[in-house]
Amino acid sequence: MDLLLQLLVNGIINGSHYALLGIGFGLIFATTRIVHFAYGPIFTFAAYVGWLLAGGLGLSVWVGLTGAVATALVLGLLSYLLIYRPLELRNAPVLVPLIASLGLYIVLENLVGVIFGTGVRVVEHLDTQIFFVGPVFFTSLHVWQVISFLVLGGALSLYLRRTRIGKAILAMTDNPEMARIIGIDTLRVSLIVFAIGSMISAVPAMLILLKDGASTHMGFAAVFLAFVAVVVGGVGSLKGAAAGGFLLGLVQSLGLWQIPTEWQNSIAFIVLFLMILLRPEGLFGVRTR
Amino acid sequence: MKRTLLIWLAAGMLTFSAASAQEAPKDPEVFKIGAILAMSGKADWYGKVMSAGILQAVDEINAKGGIEGIKLEAVIEDHKSGVAKEGVSAITRLINIHNVQAVLSSFSPPTLAIAPIADEKGILVLNGGGVSTAMVGASKYLFHNRSLASDLGRAAAKRANELGLKRLAQLAWKSDAGESIIAAVEPYWKSKGGTITATEFMEVGAPNIDTQVAKIRASNPDWVGLWLFSPDPGLALKKIREFGLRVPVIGIEYNEDIQKIAGKHSDGYEYTSDYFTPSPEFPWSQQFAENYKKRTGEDPEFYAANYYEAVYVVAEAIRRARAKGGDYWNGAKLAAAIRENPEFDSVYGGKMVFQENGVAKKRVALFRVKDGKSEFVSYITPD
Repeated sequence: MDLLLQLLVNGIINGSHYALLGIGFGLIFATTRIVHFAYGPIFTFAAYVGWLLAGGLGLSVWVGLTGAVATALVLGLLSYLLIYRPLELRNAPVLVPLIASLGLYIVLENLVGVIFGTGVRVVEHLDTQIFFVGPVFFTSLHVWQVISFLVLGGALSLYLRRTRIGKAILAMTDNPEMARIIGIDTLRVSLIVFAIGSMISAVPAMLILLKDGASTHMGFAAVFLAFVAVVVGGVGSLKGAAAGGFLLGLVQSLGLWQIPTEWQNSIAFIVLFLMILLRPEGLFGVRTR
Repeated sequence: MKRTLLIWLAAGMLTFSAASAQEAPKDPEVFKIGAILAMSGKADWYGKVMSAGILQAVDEINAKGGIEGIKLEAVIEDHKSGVAKEGVSAITRLINIHNVQAVLSSFSPPTLAIAPIADEKGILVLNGGGVSTAMVGASKYLFHNRSLASDLGRAAAKRANELGLKRLAQLAWKSDAGESIIAAVEPYWKSKGGTITATEFMEVGAPNIDTQVAKIRASNPDWVGLWLFSPDPGLALKKIREFGLRVPVIGIEYNEDIQKIAGKHSDGYEYTSDYFTPSPEFPWSQQFAENYKKRTGEDPEFYAANYYEAVYVVAEAIRRARAKGGDYWNGAKLAAAIRENPEFDSVYGGKMVFQENGVAKKRVALFRVKDGKSEFVSYITPD
């Protein structure tokens, strides 16, 4: 029972992490229909800049986080303006931005290694508090992972529902063509979602840096799990992306209660395949006939 | 008659001497040897130190005029921290573009992956880093100058037994190396009356092992075996201590990358490993260590020593094969030279001998970490 409780808590913590990644990736995907695989190395870049400021230069973690967010913002905007926007203007088929995104993924991932070196980076001498509640333990960084999801997820939800731009984003998520017809500046909206989605990714990136260290290939797991969260939750639904992330975290953790941990990475694939087979529209997606 | 006899005798001697004269060695312009290392990815520390050892040896040999007057060159390729298919791509490039006849390999998965190619193309492969026992016999041209998993794991288990510990929980890489260690440790541990409370696996470089550590903790072990390589023992040590598990942790690897990640949680960690230490008794070891420090600013550890030494083994194999003349610059002839006389100078001191299975026996040492630094405890011979 103790183990099950610990795995449940782990699942909630990991689920928060995946949900936040899913929200950022899902916001970009749902609004622009671009499968932005470069989201992964942008996440990595943010972590390394955070390390440079907080670890390499010894500045505070908050300065590191600010630098990470700023880096992700710039890279997100540049990737849209320089890579995806020209393709949109040429009415490129759907596959072309996908392939471009993969190319950008490879370039950015290797650029991290060229600029920062290929070794693992950690913020040393970081004291984290450890909490024990009965048989269950968690650290202050775990708490921050859950809090960051609640705060950012809640803030994004309010922004989308209560602001003019937010409503424009939701309109474009629903039907980009119609949004354009009724006069929504889709270029501006696209830039905003790339900015917000990328900035969101910097927060879990920084937390992973502090918790486990940063490595040049960490972006693959981030974008893959974000993608699974979006598909499981339902493409086009941000609450679906959050739910998909949580489901993934819980299944991945609780599923290993009885099955060997060597299946850990396979669980995400199994969840993805089952969802595609049984409910292709995802948990909150709308089935189109 | 006499004159005819003498002419026939002279003709016969001429023919005989022509037949028995050694064919002149067919020298290449340069001896290119390949190396397939972890030059990127999470485990790039290995690539850094191994390549430093290799390049130092190559420079030293060339400074003395090369091998029989012919320069040596190292071509270093990247298997991206142990990706098998990258190892295959790397050896393909080394053979097709650079025509190497000897390759220094590392990590078990790429070494196993290139073994059939070595057999097919006749390429000498020398491994100084991978530990999986599955590599033994994988190719007739494959040799090893480091202790394999079976020795390291059993040495760690022997240490635990000496400490009176009984309940082992183990965390291993989901790879040939990790599985080799488990296969060697489990029967040994059970033969000593021990039990195994949990066996958990992690992918190489996995960033999240909370579930594995939670399961280990729940199994209530009195020691934890870490069958992992850099930098993953760092994360494991950190998580084990953060999860409140205070039992002894014994592993098979420690370096600065592990120390950075584990931080204060590395204190008290023990590990078994090959052990290189320069000694005045062995001037070569001191000369290697001093030059390594001048070149890199760091003291060499055993991976650098193994790959430095491996270059000298290849150089000596070339000399021995060349002495027989003919078309000697091929991996099969180099491997034959090693098998014919398996004794080579070792930078550790004295000689090392490649056994019939291709493994050169090295002593395993036990270390303990205190204040982030390794302290030698003793040599430990697995039963």
